[in-house]
Amino acid sequence: MLNKFIWLLAASAVAAITPFMMQAQQSEPQPAYQMPNANKALLTDLVKVNGQQLVAVGERGHILLSQDGQNWTQAQVPVQSNLNSVYFVNPQRGWAVGHDATILITEDGGASWQLQHYAPQTDKPLFDIYFADSQKGIAVGAYGIFYRTDDGGNNWHKHFHEELLLEEEREYLAELKETDPESYQIETEALLPHFNRLYAAGDALYMIGEAGFAAKSINFGDSWQRLGAFYNGSLFDITGTPQMALLAVGLRGHAFISKDQGMHWQQITLSKHATLNSAFSDDNGSVYLVGNAGTLLISRDGAASFTDYSQADGKAIVNGLVWHNLLVLVTETGVRTINLSELK
Amino acid sequence: MSLNRLVNKFEYTLFRHRALVIVAFLLATLFLLFKATSIKLDAAFTKNIPLKHEYMQTYLRHAEDFGGANNILISLCDESGNIFNAGFFTTLRQAHDELLYTPGVDRVQVKSLFSPSTRFVEVVEDGFAGGPVIPADFVANSAGLAKVKENTEKAGVVGRMVADDYSCAMISAQLLEVNPDTGEKLDTINFASVLEQNIRGKYQSDSISVHIIGFAKMVGDVADGAKGVLVFFAIAIAITSVMVLFFCRSLMLTILPIACSLIAVIWQMGLLSVLGFGIDPMSILVPFLVFAIGVSHGVQMINSTGKRVAAGMNAKTAAQASFRKLLVPGGVALLSDTVGFLTLLIIEIGVIRELAITASLGVAVIILTNLILLPVLMSFVKFSKRYQERAAAPTPKTDKIWFTLSAFASRKYAAVILLVTATLFVFGYLQSQQVKIGDLHAGAPALHEDSRYNQDTFLITDRYAISVDYLNVMVETIPSACTEHDIMAKIDTFQWLMENVEGVQSAVSLPSVSKAINAAFNEGNVKWRVLPRNTQSLVQASSRVETSTGLLNADCSVMPVILFLQDHKAETIERVVSAAKKYGAELGDEQTRFMLASGPAGVMAATNEAVSEAQQPMMWYVYGAVILLCLLSFRSLRATISVILPLYVVSVLATALMTKLQIGLTVSTLPVIALGVGIGVDYGIYILSNMTQMLRDGMPVRQAYFEALKERGSAVLFTGMTLAIGVSTWVFSALKFQVDMGILLTFMFIVNMLGAILVLPALAAFLWRKK
Repeated sequence: MLNKFIWLLAASAVAAITPFMMQAQQSEPQPAYQMPNANKALLTDLVKVNGQQLVAVGERGHILLSQDGQNWTQAQVPVQSNLNSVYFVNPQRGWAVGHDATILITEDGGASWQLQHYAPQTDKPLFDIYFADSQKGIAVGAYGIFYRTDDGGNNWHKHFHEELLLEEEREYLAELKETDPESYQIETEALLPHFNRLYAAGDALYMIGEAGFAAKSINFGDSWQRLGAFYNGSLFDITGTPQMALLAVGLRGHAFISKDQGMHWQQITLSKHATLNSAFSDDNGSVYLVGNAGTLLISRDGAASFTDYSQADGKAIVNGLVWHNLLVLVTETGVRTINLSELK
Repeated sequence: MSLNRLVNKFEYTLFRHRALVIVAFLLATLFLLFKATSIKLDAAFTKNIPLKHEYMQTYLRHAEDFGGANNILISLCDESGNIFNAGFFTTLRQAHDELLYTPGVDRVQVKSLFSPSTRFVEVVEDGFAGGPVIPADFVANSAGLAKVKENTEKAGVVGRMVADDYSCAMISAQLLEVNPDTGEKLDTINFASVLEQNIRGKYQSDSISVHIIGFAKMVGDVADGAKGVLVFFAIAIAITSVMVLFFCRSLMLTILPIACSLIAVIWQMGLLSVLGFGIDPMSILVPFLVFAIGVSHGVQMINSTGKRVAAGMNAKTAAQASFRKLLVPGGVALLSDTVGFLTLLIIEIGVIRELAITASLGVAVIILTNLILLPVLMSFVKFSKRYQERAAAPTPKTDKIWFTLSAFASRKYAAVILLVTATLFVFGYLQSQQVKIGDLHAGAPALHEDSRYNQDTFLITDRYAISVDYLNVMVETIPSACTEHDIMAKIDTFQWLMENVEGVQSAVSLPSVSKAINAAFNEGNVKWRVLPRNTQSLVQASSRVETSTGLLNADCSVMPVILFLQDHKAETIERVVSAAKKYGAELGDEQTRFMLASGPAGVMAATNEAVSEAQQPMMWYVYGAVILLCLLSFRSLRATISVILPLYVVSVLATALMTKLQIGLTVSTLPVIALGVGIGVDYGIYILSNMTQMLRDGMPVRQAYFEALKERGSAVLFTGMTLAIGVSTWVFSALKFQVDMGILLTFMFIVNMLGAILVLPALAAFLWRKK
């Protein structure tokens, strides 16, 4: 029902505005409702844990577990915030992040979750989380929010990476720091783009985001280097292809490939123009692009060309993975499974 | 006894001025016949609603802002299975415009692909782009149609304005109860026929089919079917006439009771018209019931007169004697019918109240036509010698039957009868407790499943994601509540909990739309599908939703949560309503109240509750009235028990039958039980009134019963059978609702008769001990 009403909007060009007003209230987190339709509601991320089970996260603090990709059970979660990403560092230990700067940890493979970080007053969603080992982790999100921990998430510290700003922004901030420290504080909260996704390849850590933002770190996020602009629209995912190239996807069907660790990027021409939410590959070397309006594109030649398998119902597909002989997708209407044999 | 003196005096006056009486009746009949011809079928949405019910109070409070529940859906389907062709779009536009200018339609609420408010929005690199789904420069060529198809998908109206498989397109509208220009009430039945002529008639073709549903259309179809009731009426009159003729073997004695019963119907219709009422399609069967009850009393009258003529009296004396003998029991029976039907007035639903007036009026006039006019007319009949001889001839065969039957008034057989009755009662009682409230089947229960209307309903619910069965929970809160995150989040949580209730297909509310808009503002990224906590962003996400969407009022102090239900079966509605109450209580507070209910299913919920609440009191009142009148006329507790107990068992069994036949208690079926009591009480009163005097004189029960059977048994048996056969023809009706009524009434005519001739004497056998 939800997106049926988007038509109500008047057509006008309004960019996402920057919130200046913060509400002081701090609401107590409420545990997520256990509901039969949780696997039919918006889901945003999906991972496999140890080749044993699947863990999916989504709206209203939903975390779902499945052995076979078909039957899902809901885990106990202490918050109702929408979750955006989940990451497991080993079969037992994993984290999930989401809105209200929520960070959840599980020590039992996803069955139960505890709250490590929760800051609804910031009104900033976290979009991705990555751990180098069981102690060192990074969580990133909207308006350049960047947290890191060195003790497995017991303490999360906020970092402001000035080096991720553009040259003129840095100058502007430096000036502001002198003249108006208060405004400087506010600008540091808002000047950076949304950080949408992290991807680790060997020693390198890549981060992509709003308005063509792409950056690389070779010291696990201590310092960053912004990659040269190759697109002015938002990027939503970055991943490696089976041929060890980098693949970044984003707004309105834009996809780019880099064969030199992000130095140069080349656009891939696609037949669909809906926003791409995620890119992933399977063990057979197929590359999958999923996105809004039911977009599902599959390449069997290392992301050189894609075949259109878009879903007729037009529901947004947010992410997915291949699990045995199933393509398991998380969509705005929950889990969808497609038998790989149907995608010939 | 003063009553006796009164009857005597009345009788004396009446039979002295017979000509005058007949002339007076003739004039009254002519006048009322004239009036009756102008009576119209009359249906209105509000009449079917329990307006005093708390849900409907909520509904009425917000009807101005959110429109009513009286909507109409028109689906045009292309036979090729694909609507994107020039011919279809031309027809769709014409049909849209046609509906727009149909009087009675709320023009603001006419929605289809062609309405200007149907817009799409898409996210592009630098913000939003969008426009009307059908552009101003639309040309129905392949490029134009491809564009429209693309826009349709972007607008997210697939499943709502366009079928899931693109085979149909929808035009929806809301109806205005009162025309704002003229102040005239909407003529629902006329509106339905306008739809039929101007929409289906004009736009249905070989390539395009038209499907129309909604309350107005349903009533229109019922009214059409109700015209067929006249045929059944004619059949019933024919069957009854033949049987009466067979029973009394005199043409004159056949014509008179039938004619008097028809006069009662004419009077009833005429009086309704004089009082300014119309006939609701749902009450269309009441005139037939009046006729049936009239015949039942008329047959008692001719039976009694005939027997006296056979005994050697002349026509006048015989008629006069019958009048004296039957005025009191007949009057009591009819009066208890009248009072019984009047008790239906306590149910605060318009149609039931109209039924109460229609039925009680009809039964009351029978007192005049069949207890007064009929004997007066009969006093003029010239009985032939042959008739007299034949009637006087001893009837050993019949007497033998009566004597055998009278055994039921002996304790030995009475015990068996009472035991069987008790068993039936227990079984029936258990079944009757499971009777369901409300409609048990999808579609319109008044119509057959294969009727056009129900087929259209199935098609629309099948091909679209939405249905007409939606229930609005009205969230009443503070002004500007849509800028308060906590309140919006509460509504959003409520919606989610309700979406998990079995029977809720989908739901929509301002928060759910605001979340989608917030995602759209964030480059269409579904991860932003949240309610922003900061006020500015929340305002941005909710202020773009217009009040015409029906999701908020002008200051967003009222926001409905619209729940689309799988069907409108009573248990579905009950489950959803009780969940809404539970979650509403959990999440609501003084500031934010989750109020039931609006929307068609909300109306049904209120109606179901009103019906269920009315069921018990109605029975108490009906029985209260009948018991009181029996006590007054018999002046005997034993007699009253003997009449009422069998009647009650039949009521319970009839309810059990409803359970078995899966007929739900609804506005249209609720009165049947009360009507059944009214019809059934006649038999008992006639039999017992004949027995009481003899019993008082000390005659043994069996003998008294034997005498009563000889005097009135054949008339009772005969009327029960005749009326049952008459109503049983209803199973062939085009209206499902008439079929149901036919089955129930056949059952009640027969079983009430059995109750009067089997259970009543059995009870009497135990209640009257030998002195």
